[in-house]
Amino acid sequence: MTTREFDGIRLERVREFVWEMPREGDMRVPARVLASEALLDEIGEDKTLQQLQNATHLPGITGHAICMPDGHQGYGFPVGGVGATDVEEGCISPGSVGYDINCGVRMMKTNLTYAGVQGHGEELVEAMFANVPSGLGGGGIVESGIDTVEAVLSRGVDWALEEGWAVEDDLTHCEDEGRRPDADPSAVSRKAKDRGKNQLGSLGSGNHFLEVQRVTDVYRDDVAGAYGLEPDQVVVLIHCGSRGLGHQTCTDYLRKIEKRHGDLLADLPDKELAAAPAGSELAEEYYGAMCACINFAWVNRQLIMHRVRQVFERIFDRSWEAMDMHLLYDVAHNIAKKELHTVQGEERELYVHRKGATRAFPAGHPEVPAAYRDVGQPIIIPGSMGAGSYVLRGGEASMDLTFGSTAHGAGRLMSRTQAKQEFWGETVQDELREQNQVYVKAQSGATVAEEAPGVYKDVDEVVRVSDALGIGDKVARTYPICNIKG
Amino acid sequence: MSYELRPHTADVAVAATGADLGETFAAVADGLAAATCDEIPATGERFSLTVRAEGLEALLFDYLDQLIYERDVRGVLPVANEASVHESDGEWVVEASARGVPFADVTARDVKAVTYSEMRVEETGERWEAYVVLDV
Repeated sequence: MTTREFDGIRLERVREFVWEMPREGDMRVPARVLASEALLDEIGEDKTLQQLQNATHLPGITGHAICMPDGHQGYGFPVGGVGATDVEEGCISPGSVGYDINCGVRMMKTNLTYAGVQGHGEELVEAMFANVPSGLGGGGIVESGIDTVEAVLSRGVDWALEEGWAVEDDLTHCEDEGRRPDADPSAVSRKAKDRGKNQLGSLGSGNHFLEVQRVTDVYRDDVAGAYGLEPDQVVVLIHCGSRGLGHQTCTDYLRKIEKRHGDLLADLPDKELAAAPAGSELAEEYYGAMCACINFAWVNRQLIMHRVRQVFERIFDRSWEAMDMHLLYDVAHNIAKKELHTVQGEERELYVHRKGATRAFPAGHPEVPAAYRDVGQPIIIPGSMGAGSYVLRGGEASMDLTFGSTAHGAGRLMSRTQAKQEFWGETVQDELREQNQVYVKAQSGATVAEEAPGVYKDVDEVVRVSDALGIGDKVARTYPICNIKG
Repeated sequence: MSYELRPHTADVAVAATGADLGETFAAVADGLAAATCDEIPATGERFSLTVRAEGLEALLFDYLDQLIYERDVRGVLPVANEASVHESDGEWVVEASARGVPFADVTARDVKAVTYSEMRVEETGERWEAYVVLDV
């Protein structure tokens, strides 16, 4: 048997791209890493594997704690981590969802071609930058009061539809039709709502971005046809989350859990894994609050998408409907959801924590929107500014291997502090424009340096592993035309 | 008092040191500002805050969380932090102030939250040290 060892943590090769960390000590289940040798070498360089091992200590964790091919060190649970816990006997863990609740990606299609937007790259980037709030303190598309925030938390994209920021078609192409029925706005603190008030419809900063892209390759004609994607088509990618409101909600519940369930926390190897026992008052409250934050994030991305439609209308001088600017899909990659899964022949309800991992339900699954049920759920994997992004579809093997999940991006390789030493923002911008014909505009040059293409893993390799394992199958590749960041 | 930004694959860590707890807490808070913004102008009014918690690490966590909250709600970047820490009736208290630089005066990026990951607050000989990972 092939084995690899990183800092005293041993992994056994189960089969190609599947590595198992055997159960030992206080681990409740074994862990698995889904990676090629090259990706595993990178995963082994930081504390990802230690954090994955720590995650196996969560009460009621089932099957394996799993690290996706793009996994890297986070806090508590690793980024790229999937952990399913029993809804009745397990726990729900805010730290295993992450601070940016429902950070995610949506892709909007257009009927424009690359040739049709060439020459507009700079104009597009300037107009998007001027019209979509980004960075710290950039405000939001909607200046809202507490009442508006509560309506958004409660009704999600239904609120946007009522207010004229969405059309019916946007809802039918979003998970849960853009509204989590379990949302409980009263479980979100006033502090969190105050932070959300002036951030509704804003990108934020860090790795969040808005990008106009072109489809470069199609790998599965039938699925691409069902998704409405074809080579040379222009699409728009939006990556952001629930902003300060979500960050505050995670922070609030970490502290509440620490105070009320200190005994459980004392048994966990990392405080950031803080978990509320299933069935406890705090577990119910957190689930309601998290679902409300999911709604907020969906509306956030919806408002940005709608604003981009207006920007395109001005630049291309026709209505967004005439440009077929329709939502392909919206995926969440920081979330925990109650889902039914078959474990050792038995159907069980589980909280599936996906922290930097994307749901990847296959064709035929009842929770895939009707529009895509025959071909499988669309998955959007954003790459860096200088690399491609991918559209996948939920693979047949995902339910057995990963609780219906796959990767969420390229995954970081280099720290932000090191990135700023190695790259200079303006140089990165110039190179992307001159060598790759990609226009980039950001609030700060430091952000561009921190997000330089060289700080990320090879997204092609991440997607190759996902496709080969059958958890997320390659459908199409896209490449940036222009990008704005906070 | 002093701080250093330390590498972390996805986020940013702050390592700080001071002659006492207050100086150390304020140095971490200055590290939070440095993780947000490279160049800090001299503008802005000072404001005060008091935070209480059940332990020292919890106090540092809540203090930084409160600064992030004040940042978003006041629309200012808290810099030039000053703090004093004491224990009273089994509770830890930080009394602090900061100069709030208006967002309009800085090019800043968002630090999302403070984390407990790898957090340390320790006395080493004559000085105090703290280490905090921030979610960026």
